[in-house]
Amino acid sequence: MTAGTDHSGIFLDGRSNRKRSVTLRFANGLDIAEQDTVIESWPFDQVRRADGPPAMLRLSCTGALPLARLEVSDPATQGMLAAYCRSLDAGKSPGQTWRIVAWSLAAVCSILLLTFFGIPLAADRLAPVLPLSIEQRLGGAVDKQVKFLFGDKTCSRADGQAAFTKLVDKLKDAGGITMPLEAQVLSSKTPNAFALPGGKVYLLAGLLRKAESADEIAGVLAHELGHVQHRDGLRRLIQTGGTSFLIGLLFGDVTGGSAVVFAGRSLFDASYSRDQERAADAFAIDVMHKLGRSPKPLGALLVRVTGKEENKSMTLLASHPMSEDRLALMSKDLGVNTGPEILTAAEWRALKGICATR
Amino acid sequence: MNDTSFPFGLPPVPPSAAAGTARITFSGERRDFRRLIMRGAALELVTVGFYRFWLATDMRRHLWSNTAVDGDAAEYTGTAKELLIGFLFALAILAPIYLAYFLIGLEAERLQAFASVPLGLFFFLFAQFAIYRARRYRLTRTVWRGVRFWMTGSGWSYAWRAGLWTLLAIITLGIAMPWAKASLERYKMRHTSYGDLQGRFEGTGGGLFKKVWWLWLLMWLTGILLIPVPFIYAAMRAIEWRWWVSGIRIGEVSFTSDLRNGAFIGLYWKVIGWCALLLSVLGIWIGIAFAIGYVSIGGGTPTEQKFLLAMQQLPVLLMGGFGYIVAALAVGTVIRIYLMRDLWQRVAQSVTVENLTAADNVTAQGELVSALGEGFANSLDVAGF
Repeated sequence: MTAGTDHSGIFLDGRSNRKRSVTLRFANGLDIAEQDTVIESWPFDQVRRADGPPAMLRLSCTGALPLARLEVSDPATQGMLAAYCRSLDAGKSPGQTWRIVAWSLAAVCSILLLTFFGIPLAADRLAPVLPLSIEQRLGGAVDKQVKFLFGDKTCSRADGQAAFTKLVDKLKDAGGITMPLEAQVLSSKTPNAFALPGGKVYLLAGLLRKAESADEIAGVLAHELGHVQHRDGLRRLIQTGGTSFLIGLLFGDVTGGSAVVFAGRSLFDASYSRDQERAADAFAIDVMHKLGRSPKPLGALLVRVTGKEENKSMTLLASHPMSEDRLALMSKDLGVNTGPEILTAAEWRALKGICATR
Repeated sequence: MNDTSFPFGLPPVPPSAAAGTARITFSGERRDFRRLIMRGAALELVTVGFYRFWLATDMRRHLWSNTAVDGDAAEYTGTAKELLIGFLFALAILAPIYLAYFLIGLEAERLQAFASVPLGLFFFLFAQFAIYRARRYRLTRTVWRGVRFWMTGSGWSYAWRAGLWTLLAIITLGIAMPWAKASLERYKMRHTSYGDLQGRFEGTGGGLFKKVWWLWLLMWLTGILLIPVPFIYAAMRAIEWRWWVSGIRIGEVSFTSDLRNGAFIGLYWKVIGWCALLLSVLGIWIGIAFAIGYVSIGGGTPTEQKFLLAMQQLPVLLMGGFGYIVAALAVGTVIRIYLMRDLWQRVAQSVTVENLTAADNVTAQGELVSALGEGFANSLDVAGF
């Protein structure tokens, strides 16, 4: 061999960590020779680049032992190897990053489809068949959160409580409620009312203050009873739980995962609940008609509380559909009051003062 | 060596010391690593996090292949695809466990108080199991001079040890920590091998305690002032690394480290500075988003309700969520640059390998293991690098 063609390297045979000084010959394949004896011959198209430090070319061979390595530091030899071994970087296509991005987006699409269609469907099928005891247990957990948010003070001044019970019982009978029910007034300034899984209904004193007639409150309560009868609270819980379970599972690491879960949850919750709100409205209208009262005051109260909603960004996230939509729905039949007042004027006054301490 | 070649019969260097002594060097460019990390973070954002498997693999390849013992650089042979598959398998196994956890937790809620503690304990142990198995995966992908490291031992056996030691460390306010670390390291190292050379760990809890007890005391005394905490913690970590390096044996090969006590202080303060900066930017960003949302709500709404509504608006949520994710990725980038790469470099360059000739004729041994452990670690959020 002449000095000009002398290409040297270090060979590790994959069986031991002994470094062997070798010379390289470019024949039919890459011949690796130790003291003029060829110890291994690698076909050019099977030689691959392995990870190595910047200045060194470290090679492996797909046909040899997995950890057999040839290390070449001389730039001229590296150039020769690159010229002979055409498949050095086979399997590392430049478009790989784009493929990862594309597959990730596909995964996101499938998760979104599942959250928008799969989980709501599952919630619809599951809610009616889950035993009531489970729903009540879930409700207990939610109840704690509600009490934390709105305070634990219930209003129960005797005469007001009597009027409230009378009102709820009338609505219950008219609506044919078959679920267990427990309604209470909470002392909070927020004008709202809500139903929890397991049949707990809370009317917040803030709403009572804004109301101008018993029919308005009756409408609101009838609407919440609709949620109870339809087991909407349970449905929503299944959906929220399912969505966060799915997303939380996939975003294993903390980076951004919880934020996405948080934002995703409130978005999906709201969009899902719009159908339920409409159903509860229909239920309320029906109950009011059965009592011979017009459902119109409910719409009036909703508008008074929320103001005119025209802000577009609100429509997707508001947990209640736009008040004017609902107002239109309620006033459509223009039903006149054919039945007696649900509460007498005295009872209505007592109900309004249910939170008064004396 | 021939003594007669020296006039006074004294060699200039003691011959025994030079025989098997070698340094560990790190040749990676900071610039390259930073580019790799920032590109990776951007891709993590675009791929909603799925790129993390590729990023982790690229980081390890960079760190491994730039770290050389006696001039021979290590090699990381793991692939991102393995990590992804491991993660998917882990998901399939964890999904029913999570579901069961949720249902049992619901029942526990009724009984109140300590009923849910055993469940948290289970997940803690499971995380330890995952950490052990993830280490095993990484080791079997670590190659030096054409021979791989490998590991035996049981993940569950390690998990209950880790559980008991952690409990003891908590009860003793951290006094037992050195013994916990020593015991767990002994378990890990005696199940670690390089080819046919078996590892062991000769560091002792007492040895570590003697070096850090005053820092531990200082931490409890001055911790309330906050400012000394990073200094104390950084010194503790440096001492611990030194202790760890000098306790490791692979066959008859041993290591020493001349890491200074203050070697990490600058790194920790840089991370704190960056995090403070990023958090303030995030705060301002969310403040702006909220203000826009608040103003866009018409008048006549009570303030209490206006706050709630503003927080629920879609643009506010999207802006806030986006800002949060970008900030989290940025914090991750900072931590990877300072506490992973720079710390790695400082530790690696401080190490002297003694008696390396004992590792001259090592026969390859050990099987590859799957990345399932890494997958668990990833889903439980305890993945190292």
